[in-house]
Amino acid sequence: MKILVAVKQVATLDEDFEIRANGSDVEEDFLLYDLNEWDDFSLEEAMKIKESSDVEIEVVVVSIGPDRVDESLRKCLAKGADRAIRVWDDAIEGSDAIAIGRILAAVAQKEAPDMVFAGVQSSDQAYASTGISTAAYLDWPHAAVVADLQYKPGSGSAVIRRELEGGMLQEVEINCPAVLTIQLGINKPRYASLRGIKQAAAKPIEEVSLADVGLTGADVGADSSMSRVRRMYIPAKGRAQMIEGTIAEQAARLIQIINEFKGA
Amino acid sequence: MNNPREITRVLFENFQPQAIHLFYAIGYAAIAIFIYGVYVQIRKYRRGKPDGSWGELLHRFIDMVKTMATHRTLVRRDKSAGRAHGLIFLGFVLLFIGTSVITLEYDILQPLFGVQFWYGNFYLLFSLVLDLAGLGLIVGLIYMMYRRKWLNLPKLDYKRVDRQEGDPDFDRSQYRREDWAFLWSFILIGVTGFILEATRLVWLSGRPTVWDYRMWSPVGALLAHVMQAVGLTAEGAGSLRSGLWWFHGLISLTFIAFIPYTKIKHIFTAAASLMFKDPLAGKRLPRIPDEQKTAGYKTITDLTWKNLLHLDACTKCGRCQEACPANAVGAPLSPRDVILSLREFANHALSAKELPKEAELDIHGKDIGQVFMETLWSCRTCLACVEICPVAVEHVPIIVQMRRNLVEAGEMEPLLEKTLQTIHKTGNSFGESKRKRAAWTKELPFEIKDARTEPVDVLWFVGDYASFDPRNQKVTQSFARLLHKAGVNFGLLFESELNAGNDVRRVGEEGLYELLASSNIGTIQACEFNSIVTTDPHSFNTIRNEYPDFGGKFEIEHYTTMVKQLIEGGQIKLKKKLDYRVTFHDPCHLGRYNKGYDAPRDVLKLLGCELVEMGRNRDNSFCCGAGGGRIWIPDPVGTEKPSANRMKEAGVIEGLQVFVVSCPKDLTMFEDALKTSGFEGKFIVRELIELIDECIEYEVWEDIPLTV
Repeated sequence: MKILVAVKQVATLDEDFEIRANGSDVEEDFLLYDLNEWDDFSLEEAMKIKESSDVEIEVVVVSIGPDRVDESLRKCLAKGADRAIRVWDDAIEGSDAIAIGRILAAVAQKEAPDMVFAGVQSSDQAYASTGISTAAYLDWPHAAVVADLQYKPGSGSAVIRRELEGGMLQEVEINCPAVLTIQLGINKPRYASLRGIKQAAAKPIEEVSLADVGLTGADVGADSSMSRVRRMYIPAKGRAQMIEGTIAEQAARLIQIINEFKGA
Repeated sequence: MNNPREITRVLFENFQPQAIHLFYAIGYAAIAIFIYGVYVQIRKYRRGKPDGSWGELLHRFIDMVKTMATHRTLVRRDKSAGRAHGLIFLGFVLLFIGTSVITLEYDILQPLFGVQFWYGNFYLLFSLVLDLAGLGLIVGLIYMMYRRKWLNLPKLDYKRVDRQEGDPDFDRSQYRREDWAFLWSFILIGVTGFILEATRLVWLSGRPTVWDYRMWSPVGALLAHVMQAVGLTAEGAGSLRSGLWWFHGLISLTFIAFIPYTKIKHIFTAAASLMFKDPLAGKRLPRIPDEQKTAGYKTITDLTWKNLLHLDACTKCGRCQEACPANAVGAPLSPRDVILSLREFANHALSAKELPKEAELDIHGKDIGQVFMETLWSCRTCLACVEICPVAVEHVPIIVQMRRNLVEAGEMEPLLEKTLQTIHKTGNSFGESKRKRAAWTKELPFEIKDARTEPVDVLWFVGDYASFDPRNQKVTQSFARLLHKAGVNFGLLFESELNAGNDVRRVGEEGLYELLASSNIGTIQACEFNSIVTTDPHSFNTIRNEYPDFGGKFEIEHYTTMVKQLIEGGQIKLKKKLDYRVTFHDPCHLGRYNKGYDAPRDVLKLLGCELVEMGRNRDNSFCCGAGGGRIWIPDPVGTEKPSANRMKEAGVIEGLQVFVVSCPKDLTMFEDALKTSGFEGKFIVRELIELIDECIEYEVWEDIPLTV
């Protein structure tokens, strides 16, 4: 029994950041990296199944990215994942969510898990499509924005609740193996203590190349992606302004603005 | 003149040989029960983990004897109880020595070597001393009974603050019964001893070697005269004596047999606890050995033998509970309850021949004898309990060790968890960018040196609150101006400085602490400087006391010490005197942790302020509530905060103008508490630096006027 959890190391912006000269992204120096928040929940969901199960369950985390991603994988290992896989090749640079899904699907084919979990989205790019494209390449059933999961390891199906708009939930029975994208709040992710992370350094992280999963450089990268980033920029400031003065002055100014807006 | 050989203690006179044999048999049985009890206790301690406190045994022993002889720790904050205990202690020790000397002569030296010394003047002097000792013992015990019965001291109420009425271990009434049984049996031994002595005198009133010397046992003689006055004859006294003799002998032997099984064992455990006292307890928390997989205390067998010994030393005096800021505001924590819970747990689990299963040794949880997680998280690690404990129980290290286990299991407030993650990610508890650590320097009219790139005399470790909190930044800027004005050659670590880790460690996140400490140590070691200064007592404590364990041995001062020297040395010239009526709040980490009580007070005097102390000052200072990571845990709504409690204490000082602090966290906590507890407009809260600042004339310096 095996659960594959796809995770991503996301970037957060430091204050006063600068954009790269070619406009493609933020200057690397101004990025702080951490595990994607959604992935804390999908890993926790896998760990919960593992810990409450009578049968042996292997939780494998997989991520696509350069060396720095090891730090985030180690955090997953500290939280109890059994193995970690990191796929990287310089050719992967520039891949969009669909191309990443292709790689993840290739890893899943090799690992043959009973379930694949991914976060609903990543907090930095927010495409919300990596998990679903993985399912598409695998041609597996999939469910997005899973807020509750009833799954007995080894059974042929699972009952899930999906979060819809307007506070609605949709209960779905899904055949396994399946790809689920997990929503925030489905559980309470555990804390990875620093000692745990340090001890996890002893667990190996398998470094996997494209060839190892049966892909070539031509399958990935900007050229094999369906979308490309043209430029990144900070939009011009809005027109918000603070109104100073006494309450009466503020009210007068507010009336003036409303009248101007109405064209009076 | 009587033959001095005949002036001696009457022992088994008129006893049948069988009776003497019976008495010896009972005596040996009592000793056997005592020894078995001691064995069980020692076996219990040996089930704890090792502890390296065996060094300097002689030195420790002398210290212990001094503490016990002077009763120094017992008279603190409870003079009468301490003195009464002194009488009981002295009485017991002298009577014990007296009885032992009789045994030494009668059972050992005389039968084996024919040596006899228990007669004549020696005997008489001893008799007098023992009579007075017995009197002291009884007086002491009577006071203790009076105290328990009529003083209604809250600290002698053993009802638990972490349990509800109706819980099986809520009222702890068995302790009260034990206390009374102890007092009554002890006083009965003393009283029957005197009556016995008196009946012997009446019985042998015809024998000059006894009767002529009766005044050498004045209490007995007085009673004998009373007995005679009410018509007791020599024969009557003789028969009364034999009954009393057995009664006195039997309760005394029972008392001895019971020592290891009851609170009487504190005779030994408190002494041993004092002997193995760690002078740095809580100030320097224990490291987790590199090879150890788990962190902190999960089971009772994770405690060291020294911890287990400390548990047994507790005499439930309640001084810790009285001093505890968490307890004062109704949090579910009494340091005494934690100690007693663990003691009961240890006695239950570790006294049997076989150790119970691992699962039954878990000290965390909601069951009887287990310690609640809410209790552990209530602790402010202010060290008030450790500091006041008369028998050197070290509560805080145990609490932190238990928290380490909670942290590993992720059982903590979500906000605290978030803060720890933030500190890991950004190196500071504010979640600010590293780059912004020294942003406060930008408003200064001069450049501050970068200690990483050029040698400085003084390396200033700023700390998180002083660096990032907007209110504290003003103080930090003032201190920079002050150093600049005084011509001190100083520098900062800029963005390389990380949270010092003092509070992270006290939360129990040891891995994160190790990361922070080793990073800071590496950064500091790469700089060229003579000494470190900081305005933050928390950073001060961990750098001073804990970094050495990680290879960082640095000279460090709190700013109050340094400023005092600068003023006294004339580098800082005070242009005016302040005439404020002020009170001073000792920060835990400067005061109790590092004994820095005097420097801030001396500076206040140099500034001309009139210092009025609050009731709780210096070693008894009352924590602001921010310690031990509690600044990152919200206090429950509807309960009083320790800082508000402190404001009330300051509020009763007539004409108080300024509540002076010397810690960034204190400034934050108390300025907030001032507003919420309704003292705003009555007095103000200021950092000592701000008062000094008022007295210095700067060339370019906009004055912040002090308004009351």
